Amino acid sequence: MEKPAHGIERPLVIGEEVVVRIRGLKKAFGTNHVLRGFDMDLHQGENVMVLGKSGSGKSVLIKCIIGLLEPDAGIVDVLGQDMLALEHEALDKMRVRIGFLFQSNALYDSMTVRENLEFPMRRHMVKMNTAERQERVMRALADVGLEHTVDLMPSELSGGMRKRIGLARTLIMRPEIVLYDEPTTGLDPITSREIVELMLDLQREYGTSSILISHDLNVAKLAANQVIVLHEGTAHAQGTYEQLMHSTDPVVRRFFDSL
Amino acid sequence: MVRSQTVRAFVEEVGDIASFTGRFFREVFRPRYEWAELLRQSFINGYRSLPLVAVTAFIMGLVLTVQSRPTLERFGAESMLPLMVAISVVREIGPVITALICAGKIGSSIGAELGSMKVTEQIDAMEVSGTNPFKYLVVTRVVSTTLMVPVLVVFADAIAIYASYIGVNIKGSVSWSLFHQQVFDSLVFADFLPAFIKSFFFGFAIGIVGCYKGFNTKNGTEGVGQASHSSVVVASLVIFVIDLIAVQITDILGYN
Repeated sequence: MEKPAHGIERPLVIGEEVVVRIRGLKKAFGTNHVLRGFDMDLHQGENVMVLGKSGSGKSVLIKCIIGLLEPDAGIVDVLGQDMLALEHEALDKMRVRIGFLFQSNALYDSMTVRENLEFPMRRHMVKMNTAERQERVMRALADVGLEHTVDLMPSELSGGMRKRIGLARTLIMRPEIVLYDEPTTGLDPITSREIVELMLDLQREYGTSSILISHDLNVAKLAANQVIVLHEGTAHAQGTYEQLMHSTDPVVRRFFDSL
Repeated sequence: MVRSQTVRAFVEEVGDIASFTGRFFREVFRPRYEWAELLRQSFINGYRSLPLVAVTAFIMGLVLTVQSRPTLERFGAESMLPLMVAISVVREIGPVITALICAGKIGSSIGAELGSMKVTEQIDAMEVSGTNPFKYLVVTRVVSTTLMVPVLVVFADAIAIYASYIGVNIKGSVSWSLFHQQVFDSLVFADFLPAFIKSFFFGFAIGIVGCYKGFNTKNGTEGVGQASHSSVVVASLVIFVIDLIAVQITDILGYN
């Protein structure tokens, strides 16, 4: 494992296999051209972070990957499947293989923590019996250190706890790829670091590959194997955190100079 | 200019609701069927509306009886009071008032709930977890309101007629058996059936408008408020339009 000065281990066992391949992705809302031909590859076991300022199209990018938004043009290939060609049922099956952690966590606020975690299992693991389901819920909660919240409502949890529960719900189906939408936004620096550590621990345990989108350079520093700078709808620059830190490109510099 | 934009927005919205309704009919017969959620929604929309519908129907039956008495007395037709109230309640007032109450209670709650789920990305979360949110959230709610509003209408009719019995006895003395006989001798199946059928349409309108407004909420929490109140306004308007169409149809068929 790679062990940088900050002490957190980034994943280094990166496979050759490309699990997400994006080519020439374009998406516009009216006259606002958000993505103008974005390209990227995500390899097995890798963490790629897409860095961009607010409104640069980061969320649009991952929503296009999971099929929440339909791109205007381009290729989105996930685990060997052309996501744009999939019909409803096939798309739903693919989505089970992809986890998505929302910026707002998007916990179902009319359900308890247990029901939130059980929701995807009840729908996609219909043969699983109650005891097995309970065991998996408790294991997921143990992974994020929140077993005691199992019967609480989301409104009774703090921001950091909600993020952890969101992470537990994302990972309970054991996805092969996880998309993180601004995982540390709105959290204090200590909780942010804890969340990133937790994400990496769980990634090591379950062997997932991840795309993180954020404007937070700390996340890039702690978690990313590769950082892609999204600027004017394209992958403007790409490299490791350390490579980009020494870049002379003015767009890249603007991020690092703001530290 | 402003007027043409308003007309255009109105026509677009009508088109969007029609397309949303079309999607409902495409999804409703296709598996998978969300029986557990349908039962839960029927419990919430039906059972939990009973107290409000009961109170409203009781007051409606009592007030209608008390206010009709002086007019009937003037014509010496006081004995027609149970008949008149029963026909008014069963044919028109029961279904329409109950539907309006449901538009306020159920329609606003569906609009607000789905609207808040939309702006907090819960609907997107459902979709990315491989669940069809339209089927899980919209189909179950629309089917439940379509089935529960007619049940509530029958319940409201019964309560209003019992309240009318109390109203008749405030200034007079009529035995229950005589009142009962007067009501049911005058009512025929043709009074009940068209009203019962139109209440399915009322329930459908409440569900589909609430779900459409909630599912298409924009602009954060402000949008949730708008979704909730416009669900009530639009559903109430649609109820009156359906009522107008229903009365024309029953008239053509000779049931009036």
